Amino acid sequence: MQHHEHLAGAELGSIERELYIDATPDVVYEVISDPRHVTEWWPDGATYEAVAGSEGSISFGDCSQGGKLVGFAVVEALPPRSFSFRWTQEPGEAARRGNSLLVTFELEPSGDGTLVRFRETGFREMGWEAAVLEATYLDHANGWEHFLPRLVSYSESVGSRA
Amino acid sequence: MTPVAAGVVDDELWSAVGDPTRRRMLDILLAAGGGTATSLSDQLPISRQAVAKHLAVLDRAGLVHGASAGRERRYQISEAQFARAVAQLTAVSDAWDRRLARIKRIAETIQRQQDDGRAPSHEGRASGV
Repeated sequence: MQHHEHLAGAELGSIERELYIDATPDVVYEVISDPRHVTEWWPDGATYEAVAGSEGSISFGDCSQGGKLVGFAVVEALPPRSFSFRWTQEPGEAARRGNSLLVTFELEPSGDGTLVRFRETGFREMGWEAAVLEATYLDHANGWEHFLPRLVSYSESVGSRA
Repeated sequence: MTPVAAGVVDDELWSAVGDPTRRRMLDILLAAGGGTATSLSDQLPISRQAVAKHLAVLDRAGLVHGASAGRERRYQISEAQFARAVAQLTAVSDAWDRRLARIKRIAETIQRQQDDGRAPSHEGRASGV
């Protein structure tokens, strides 16, 4: 019988979240899958195509100054229903169970908006190296201090395009 | 052990819990309330010597502490350091919470702009959030 779930338990094997977004599945799908949008909420750089089987990379920080480049492979791309990818593999290395984390977004229409189910799995297989990567990244890109100015300029550029 | 600023990753701690055998050992120590190299090797497919090496790594990371009990050292989980390891792991899921919050804001901003473009006469949407 498992008495203790802290280290071996669910929150390590996977991270799961559900959230409601007041935007249509089409809009949400673009934001979570299109590299041009993804760099607005996560990595500093992204080179991949939002189609199943595409292999590329994402980068954090300036790679010539201690930044980090990791592989990014699209597993499934079914607009506007689901988008999944593997990341943290070495760039150029084929993503598989054991060398990468699997992230899945599932979108379901809900009222005027979208219910998003997010899941990241693979921590157990990878040990904690991936987690270390994320935490390291957190150190130099921490939350809103870093992202709010980018989000504001991003919103303005979307506005001027419209 | 030097206190570490919140949020800063302690490499030794992470590599200590990054090994599946050591995680299994921590599970056993937690479930049993403690154990010796001998009692642990009885429950694991590795030798007493291998267990002792893993215990030394966990000890250096501050995750367990040993006390002499007869001919063997008896090890227990160090609660505070263990809690810190768990907290650092929690930080990983917090990072996703922040990313998801940004996804939400970006998508809702785009949606509002599309809606405004389509129906400029409407003075804003129902504001019940």
